[in-house]
Amino acid sequence: MLERCIGERRLRQIQRGVRNMKLTFLCLLLTLLVLRGTIGAGKYGTPQQDFIELRQRFISHPHRALAEQNQPEPKPKKSDKDDEPPLRSLNDPYSLGPKISDWDSQRADWIRRHPERPNFLTKTKPRVLLVTGSSPKPCENPVGDHYLLKSIKNKIDYCRVHNIEIFYNMALLDAEMAGFWAKLPLIRALLLAHPEVEFLWWMDSDAMFTDMAFELPWERYAPYNLVMHGWDEMVYKDKNWIGLNTGSFLLRNCQWSLDLLDAWAPMGPKGPVRTEAGKILTKTLKDRPVFEADDQSAMVYLLVTQKEKWANKVYLESAYYLHGYWGILVDRYEEMIENYHPGLGDHRWPLVTHFVGCKPCGKFGDYPVERCLKQMDRAFNFGDNQILQMYGFTHKSLASRRVRRVRNETSNPLEVKDELGLLHPDFKAVQHHAS
Amino acid sequence: MGHEGVGFKSGSTRSGLPTTRSRVPRGRQIQKTFNNVKITVLCGFVTLLVLRGTIGVGNLTGSTLESEDQRVVEDIDRILREIRTDSEPEPQDPLSSLYFANSTAHNWTYAEAVEAVNYSLGPKISDWDQQRQVWLSQNPNFPNRLLGKHRILLVTGSPPNPCDNAIGDHYLLKSTKNKIDYCRLHGIEIVYNMAHLDKELAGYWAKLPLIRKLMLSHPEIEWIWWMDSDAFFTDMAFELPLEKYKNHNLIIHGYPDLLFEQHSWIALNTGSFLFRNCQWSLDLLDAWAPMGPKGIVRELAGKILTANLKGRPAFEADDQSALIYLLTSQQDKWMSKVYVENSYYLHGFWAGLVDKYEEMIEQNHPGLGDERWPFVTHFVGCKPCGSYGDYPVERCLNSMERAFNFGDNQVLRLYGFAHKGLVSPKIKRVQDQTSDPLQVKEKLDMAARITM
Repeated sequence: MLERCIGERRLRQIQRGVRNMKLTFLCLLLTLLVLRGTIGAGKYGTPQQDFIELRQRFISHPHRALAEQNQPEPKPKKSDKDDEPPLRSLNDPYSLGPKISDWDSQRADWIRRHPERPNFLTKTKPRVLLVTGSSPKPCENPVGDHYLLKSIKNKIDYCRVHNIEIFYNMALLDAEMAGFWAKLPLIRALLLAHPEVEFLWWMDSDAMFTDMAFELPWERYAPYNLVMHGWDEMVYKDKNWIGLNTGSFLLRNCQWSLDLLDAWAPMGPKGPVRTEAGKILTKTLKDRPVFEADDQSAMVYLLVTQKEKWANKVYLESAYYLHGYWGILVDRYEEMIENYHPGLGDHRWPLVTHFVGCKPCGKFGDYPVERCLKQMDRAFNFGDNQILQMYGFTHKSLASRRVRRVRNETSNPLEVKDELGLLHPDFKAVQHHAS
Repeated sequence: MGHEGVGFKSGSTRSGLPTTRSRVPRGRQIQKTFNNVKITVLCGFVTLLVLRGTIGVGNLTGSTLESEDQRVVEDIDRILREIRTDSEPEPQDPLSSLYFANSTAHNWTYAEAVEAVNYSLGPKISDWDQQRQVWLSQNPNFPNRLLGKHRILLVTGSPPNPCDNAIGDHYLLKSTKNKIDYCRLHGIEIVYNMAHLDKELAGYWAKLPLIRKLMLSHPEIEWIWWMDSDAFFTDMAFELPLEKYKNHNLIIHGYPDLLFEQHSWIALNTGSFLFRNCQWSLDLLDAWAPMGPKGIVRELAGKILTANLKGRPAFEADDQSALIYLLTSQQDKWMSKVYVENSYYLHGFWAGLVDKYEEMIEQNHPGLGDERWPFVTHFVGCKPCGSYGDYPVERCLNSMERAFNFGDNQVLRLYGFAHKGLVSPKIKRVQDQTSDPLQVKEKLDMAARITM
């Protein structure tokens, strides 16, 4: 019928045209898809982002497969359920605690009254408290707790050799500041409860010591109150959100630090405050993806926007790995063993290997589970070898949990010194005074 | 838009002559359909290729929650299997070759086996006290006393592999935090061991070579305190009364009547004990070790122990029974320097204690260390890391959580918090924050009553 209206030739022309258009449209679609996949389409995202979003949407549900494994948990009381605090509104300012303005003098008085707990162990070495922690609930990942255990053993070893005290936190002090912000109320509580501590060293649970012989250069930090790994240009010039790292940092116990914590905290409270703050941070900082405010980005933002107030007491350390991103370190361990020795702390023998993004306690990190766990084993053994050599042993290989003897027993054990001198190192020596 | 003429050939028709719609030959129809299908398949293929390049093919096949879970679980299972295959092989029984080489059927006695194996913890040292004294005088920066108190090293550990039961690692972690807390409050160093130093003395005997090694490496340490990984500190304020032990070298929890009169195999507990760093201790370790080597020696020794100790079931020699046997059979040699302590719970068997925690909180206070407020709650027989304990798993885990929180409350008190209940991981504030925190701290007494 159409033929009779338009004529056969015309009809075929139209048909051909339609077919060509279909083909063209199809090819266009394909081209767009490929381009989106390779160079991204800006705010329309990339397929990778799509996938991550999809995954994230589904992940909020409980993980049945792992949860159903036989893990009897203590039965929670009914009162536990109704302790979620109401979400703070944007007009309601958050406070870590009652304002203290004379902390330096309060603390000095205390130290004077308690000479048995001095804040300096020797002329140069301060009393340091290493703070770390994890959730009080069992990990979702069945091997997660095992790696937390190895991580704390690793810290116990370093701190024993360097005369540093440890606080392992398993309590959520403030439900509003949950997640990565939980360290702020904890740090404040510890500073106030331990006036004898000169420096508080926060360290993430996924960070491991890989240089047992490296002592921090305390004299270098005498004029500063906050020491973080990072680069001045990346923070103050680039405003890059990874210009510094808050997974391993030193904070002096003083009024300045209390003020800093008060200035740092406002972006933290869960809910609309954190979400809105996240947007500001993404807008201001370079390369920051879209997500709620985290403590690291907030610190960069604070330093950038209030530089005159804080920067003169902040030291961004890049001479050694106070925090070392694992991705560029773990494959080089054998090379390091061959060419260098412990005590350097830098790219040649990193002080800290930090497994950012691995999340061994949860089920999904940003990297494949196998790579993370295998590399954590290697990093652990790399550090553990330096401890075992004190006693004449070493791991059979960086991947093996087994050990072998490297120094025979002797009937004169005190004449033998361990290679690294970690049994009785200078930095562990007690100040010799008549006691 | 070419000029269509007679010569025009389209892909779908053979001849240029148009045909009426109703009379399209079957063949050409099929060909047309076939070509369409070809194009469709080609496009589909290219699409798949492109998508594979961008988000990966695995994720296309129904990336639902379940399959992601499944894959992660499989990954972890595989990793666990790999880890376990790397564990220590069963140590070669040193006697097997002798045993089987011997052509005459010979019933080995324990004494013969010990002699044949000839195990030793290390080269004999006879002047350790002098060696140590010389070293201490040459190293005044590493004294054996700090603030007037003798230096103590707490030693504990666990196997290098992940636990068979995942919850076991969680309680090892909590147990370690518990020890870190007590030791920080009391100025005690910790060594957490995860290495098999001696393949022959594996299992519960592993503490012997470890203790010896630490003694000899750390002359500045006066006391080595071994503590099992399943023991928790439940009295954070209790300080060891070291002056009581001026003249003793081994402090161990036990009951003298069970030991001397009944020779009971649970008369002493080697889950928590102290060794002074001295020659006497090295000698005791040397006398203690012979029953340990895995294999025939341990088997035969086990039989002797079962025969001589009251209530002991039949199994291979364990360090606790061996020590009891040693001390009772060589009483005159050793007992003068052994302090059998039961005035406080240097080791407190959990079953009789965990249900009374609430009562203790109400009626007593920390610092007592005894049955009113136990110093250590020891979860003997629970074995949360392994697959088989002697008690129901649920009861064990629940009780361990309670013991942990009972101790943790005494630590959290310093910061103004307490657990919401002995079973809850959640905490609540029990003291308001103040702008004068040091005044509060001055008044804080670790031994004061706890309010929950």
